[in-house]
Amino acid sequence: MHEMSSAPSKSLKGIFARHEVVLLLVVALEVLIFSLLGRNFLGEANVSNIFRHSVEIGMLALVMTPVILTGGIDLSVGSMMGLCAVCFGILVKEAQFSPLLAALCSVAIGATGGGLNAFLIARLKLPPLIVTLGTFSLFRGLAEALTKGSKSYSGFSDSFLALGNSEVAGLPAQLWIFIAVALGVYLLVHHTTFGRSFRAIGYSPEGSRYAGLAVGRNISLAYILAGAVAGLAAVIFVARIGEARANAGIGYELLAITAVVLGGTSIFGGSGTVCGTLLGYLAVAVLNNGLKRIMDYELLDRKISDMASELSGLLTGLLLIVALAITPLLRILATRRSRSQH
Amino acid sequence: MMRKYSREIIVAIALILLMLALAAYAPAYFDPQPLLSRFTSQAPALVAAIGITLVIIIRQIDISIGAQFSMCAVVAGVAAAAGMPLPVAVLAAVLTGAVMGAFNGLLVAWLGLPSIVVTLATMVTWNEALRLWQQGRLMNLPAGIQWFGLSQSAGQGIVIGLSVVLLIAFAWGMRNLALGRYVYATGTDAEAARLAGINPRWMTFGVFVLTGALAGLAAVLNMVQSPQVQPNAGDGLELKVIAAAVVGGVAITGGRGNLWGVLLGLLLLVNVNPALTYFHQPPYWERAIQGLVILLAVVADGLQRGKKVKHA
Amino acid sequence: MRALKGVSFDLAAGEVHALLGENGAGKSTLIKVITGAHSPDEGTLKVGDETLRSLTPAHARALGIACIYQQPALFPDLTVAENIGLRLKKPKPFSVVKRGSQRQMAIDLLKRVGAEISPDAEVRELSMPEQQLVEIACALGSGAKIVIMDEPTASLTQKEQHLLFGVVKDLRASGVGVVYISHRLEEIFALADRVTVLRDGESVGTHAVKDLTESAMIKLMVGREVATLYPPAEGEPGETVLSLKGLSCAEGGVQGINLEVRAGEIVGMAGLVGAGRTELARILFGITPADSGEILLGGKAVKMHSPREAIAQGIAYVPEDRRRHGVILEMPIAHNITMAVHPRLFPGTWLRKKSETSLAEDFIRDLGIKTYGPEAPGGSLSGGNQQKVSVSRWLATKPKLLILDEPTQGVDVGAKSEIHRIIRGLAKEGLAVLMISSDLPEVLGMSDRIAVMRGGTITAVLPGGADAHDVMAAALGQSGREVA
Repeated sequence: MHEMSSAPSKSLKGIFARHEVVLLLVVALEVLIFSLLGRNFLGEANVSNIFRHSVEIGMLALVMTPVILTGGIDLSVGSMMGLCAVCFGILVKEAQFSPLLAALCSVAIGATGGGLNAFLIARLKLPPLIVTLGTFSLFRGLAEALTKGSKSYSGFSDSFLALGNSEVAGLPAQLWIFIAVALGVYLLVHHTTFGRSFRAIGYSPEGSRYAGLAVGRNISLAYILAGAVAGLAAVIFVARIGEARANAGIGYELLAITAVVLGGTSIFGGSGTVCGTLLGYLAVAVLNNGLKRIMDYELLDRKISDMASELSGLLTGLLLIVALAITPLLRILATRRSRSQH
Repeated sequence: MMRKYSREIIVAIALILLMLALAAYAPAYFDPQPLLSRFTSQAPALVAAIGITLVIIIRQIDISIGAQFSMCAVVAGVAAAAGMPLPVAVLAAVLTGAVMGAFNGLLVAWLGLPSIVVTLATMVTWNEALRLWQQGRLMNLPAGIQWFGLSQSAGQGIVIGLSVVLLIAFAWGMRNLALGRYVYATGTDAEAARLAGINPRWMTFGVFVLTGALAGLAAVLNMVQSPQVQPNAGDGLELKVIAAAVVGGVAITGGRGNLWGVLLGLLLLVNVNPALTYFHQPPYWERAIQGLVILLAVVADGLQRGKKVKHA
Repeated sequence: MRALKGVSFDLAAGEVHALLGENGAGKSTLIKVITGAHSPDEGTLKVGDETLRSLTPAHARALGIACIYQQPALFPDLTVAENIGLRLKKPKPFSVVKRGSQRQMAIDLLKRVGAEISPDAEVRELSMPEQQLVEIACALGSGAKIVIMDEPTASLTQKEQHLLFGVVKDLRASGVGVVYISHRLEEIFALADRVTVLRDGESVGTHAVKDLTESAMIKLMVGREVATLYPPAEGEPGETVLSLKGLSCAEGGVQGINLEVRAGEIVGMAGLVGAGRTELARILFGITPADSGEILLGGKAVKMHSPREAIAQGIAYVPEDRRRHGVILEMPIAHNITMAVHPRLFPGTWLRKKSETSLAEDFIRDLGIKTYGPEAPGGSLSGGNQQKVSVSRWLATKPKLLILDEPTQGVDVGAKSEIHRIIRGLAKEGLAVLMISSDLPEVLGMSDRIAVMRGGTITAVLPGGADAHDVMAAALGQSGREVA
């Protein structure tokens, strides 16, 4: 039992804040190392690049946060991106939709796919892991079927491609969309009753029902939002790459989950913050980009910049393991020590 | 008894109907040589599926199994390329798998971390380490490795034979060995298992180690089928075998399922593609159909469970 | 809080020793000490010639102590024979399970218990009494020298009960010592040689059963005088708030409930665990909707299909299982208190942290919740203060009817009387209160009227100052004054 009555000391608050602080230090350390070792890491063009190449993952991580807060998981967002990208391509190139209308359709398709997840998880009460594993295959499979396995769509108008490759007010165009999504998710999670409900459901689904919360409706919202934003991310992805094909967003679900968990959100649900997710995403994105800038140093007889993608993946994986293991490890060590003292 | 095996029966019926349809409309499917080749190429997945089944029965998940598979394949390939005899290469692969499994097991069983994130992290780690190490290169194997240095048909026989023997051995063990009971008991209710004198931590750890070792063995069975080692041979394997287990009636909530169901599930899933081909349907529907089959299986589970809860 | 204080208990071979007491008198704790699930702070255990400070579950089993719990601890996915096999002797990991002999053993044991259960059935398919019989078969098979039965007949049919009695007599005849816990006095008279009565964690004596009458036994259980520390009722109750007519629900095992609760009135709900009181509350709160019958709220017929609807109708339910259904320990007090009033407090779903905090502070002050502030997590509070948070959440909904389920369970004495004062205060303000409690003095002291449930139906409605003996008698199914 916890002892009551002791006031919230600064250290107690420190524990709650600590994860984000540590993560911030990690990001700062990355920036420091890369600006020292990398070529032109802090140059304007490169900073833009960091975001340009990763906002899709960042957006998925943002909307994965509410899902994980409710104690669920969504493995299907990457596949959803593939399906939405393909649909977008078809709508623009074959149905002659305007890019804006097609983008709205893409978001709607994403929301519908999320709705399928929501129905199976919230209504039929099936385990999220397996449901979204199924839709992971289904969405990607539909994308492949629609493109007959290999077809891709390109030749989009310049005005549309600008979304992925131009700058608006000094920032990459897509970063503005990302900021809007981040703000929206932040407000949703931290300033509305929905966010409050996500947490309550993550901590105790039964308790939430007893307190009269609309458990099913809130869980559904989280998955539908995830699907819709995956649809949006697909449009941005197509604008950046200039091509719509079925393999858009492969593996993105894992990167998004990594960013969320790295950001301190408990995989069991309940606790976690949007700021943590943003920092988790930033840590991954900066790592990935920064290694590419280290062109003057070698590791195992190879330029680090040449193996940036593998190295950053490896470091991300290790970082994730350390982030997960550190708390229980410290707890076990602490109990060992206190036991040996007695 | 009928109800207990209802899932296996349904999947078996689906499989038989598929086979009958193929026999009627595309008898070429049953031409022995391509049929044998198809079975051989799926045999490693069967071995990996045995591991994942145990993991799911004990109420965990391992999505790093594909990465383990790739890593073990490369380790075995490097050993073989360095001129070591095949048994040594096999041992190296199995040990590598066991060590990677032990790492998962340690984090899950002793630190109490959720297996889904742990194995997600180890999956990323192994895959990227592999890319760093091999840079995506294909590795040529020395002569005498492909098909164990025997004729192709003899090699195919060994691969299929070994996989089937392993399946029978594990299916028998899960049913008849006390250890099998421990796995089911732990997956059903770890606390009750503890009270019955079973150590759930050791059981969980052991199952992860075993799964890694089986992934290593599967990698070898895959390696001997071609003159080269692909450094990403295990990509997507985790989803294939988890799907096979779910379709085969292994409950994701632990404690339920058996390997014969998984065999049927795997057969059904891997035959989607050849069936499409032989029916002259576009093969790119494969993944969508597989996804649909998985969803159907989960929904069926959910409905069945709902009924039982009401009943209780 | 101490669950057990200086209790002495002994069991001879070939004896059935009954353990009797109200809910929460300390029976379960005593069993847990004997089976090694809990370690005693003081005192020793002596099994045979071995004197021990405490036991582990494994050690207890090795000594031949077997326990049949109310909730069977079987593996639902394994068959009956597999369960019996696993329980009796943990086989070596790599040994081959001898299916045939295991099955035969299961058949033999099940026959000894007189159960008509297939050894190949999966336990999940068995009914609760069947599972219990499997448990008993396990105990028989393990050759236990001490068998503890925790209300074994609670869910058995008449026929199964007779079989069970036979089994218990068999056990006794073969020299096994049986600890028999039951609320049914007639069973104790039919089976037990001696009886030990527990009250508030203390033993009030061990007697030979043949020396006691039913009435004497009830007196031992109830014992004490109802203390005067309960806040008195004042004024006359107002109009009828809740009226139930022939309410039934098969899923909850509740049938034909007729009851009225008026504004300003506290109706106590007495009865034993499993009598259907919590189930009734769950019906009223829309968790397990009723099959038939009427719920009239303020004279208007209503139907509830979810807690949300119930809350909208003005019903509040402070649940029994505080940890699972009540306070979310990880969340701040303020968040816990406002959970049921989101739509009212946060129009447009926008959180207003100021009004939330001030609402929480009001309750912290009014109910005397001891904490450092509304931002403190629920888990930092003591049980009593958690309960006050739970009550606060429901008062915030401004209900017409407040249902309290075991409001002072696991709450220390000081907080208990505070909670009593709060409840009485609420009634004075005109709230209709339905209070489920297994704490007999609490029911007697707090209630304006007492409804007693047994077997899913109300067996008696007694006036507030009723005699403890009568309430207990009605709850136990003895001949009481039936007023209902």
